[in-house]
Amino acid sequence: MSTSTSSQEERWAIVHIYSSYNNTIVHFTDLSGAETIAISSGGRHVKADRFESSPYAAIKSAMACAEEAKRKGITSIIIKVRAVGGTGPRVPGPGLNAALRALARAGFKIARIEDVTPIPHDTTRKPGGRRGRRA
Amino acid sequence: MMLKMEVKIPKDRIGALIGKGGKIKEAIERECGVKMEVDSGTGDVIVSTEDQANLVGLNKALNIAKAIGRGFSYERAKALYDDEYMLDIIDLTDYAGKSESNLVRIKGRIIGADGKARRIIEDLTDTYISVYGHTVSIIGKADDVKAAREAVEALAEGSLHKTVYEKLQRRRSRMKLERLQLWERRGEEFEGDIF
Repeated sequence: MSTSTSSQEERWAIVHIYSSYNNTIVHFTDLSGAETIAISSGGRHVKADRFESSPYAAIKSAMACAEEAKRKGITSIIIKVRAVGGTGPRVPGPGLNAALRALARAGFKIARIEDVTPIPHDTTRKPGGRRGRRA
Repeated sequence: MMLKMEVKIPKDRIGALIGKGGKIKEAIERECGVKMEVDSGTGDVIVSTEDQANLVGLNKALNIAKAIGRGFSYERAKALYDDEYMLDIIDLTDYAGKSESNLVRIKGRIIGADGKARRIIEDLTDTYISVYGHTVSIIGKADDVKAAREAVEALAEGSLHKTVYEKLQRRRSRMKLERLQLWERRGEEFEGDIF
């Protein structure tokens, strides 16, 4: 794996895509994951809460991030996909496909894509208690 | 550069994923523009593509493999080729704990006599549901999947079937009403800003 110093032209970023039922967050960081390059969430692009996780909002936020990252000179990316995990759903929400499509079209060199959903080996109790969720 | 993703599926679903003479596997590969490697000893499925722009196909193929691994037939998993459809998996061990008999009881509640409960939830939410092993999997559009998920979770937690059906029925009528209202509003002034 080449690093940011291997060539003058090449600049790497990790793209974290967090996709839940309620929102989609696209987050460009450097390779250490500590420094943010660009970040945007579905909620920034739509007005109603229930559209925050929609594919449309996901495309918007992915494009907004990609544009900013390009302006900062990013050329190559590693994609890390994450669903809620833990006690929540282990499969990504509705925004993921849309976000991936937008990133694929943004013209970055994509080196790797992986699923980083946190899967517990032994976990805390699911919220709701013994008698379940009472709406 | 080659991109790949992988998933592990149960051994007795490997046959369903590959199909007779590799038919189903080939169909997925063709449809999504990916290459699929299935290790029939361990159940590891590796989906890969050479095409950088085909991230979506890669993710779709992976989802279909997951769905088939969770008990869906290929015919039903096909819905996932559509962008609007998504897969959800509910782990019943969260509700049943470690007790085998408890798990069987909860699965029975979700399936119902001759699959009645499952069928009613499927019909009321326009989804496909598969109960396999210790998971319940749902294929459908995002909103519908969410409703079906709530219904399945309510059944797993012990709600009466009647209550769950009524709730789904109410949701269905409400959606119908909203659709009608949208048509009416369109006549007056449609601002094109539904998002």
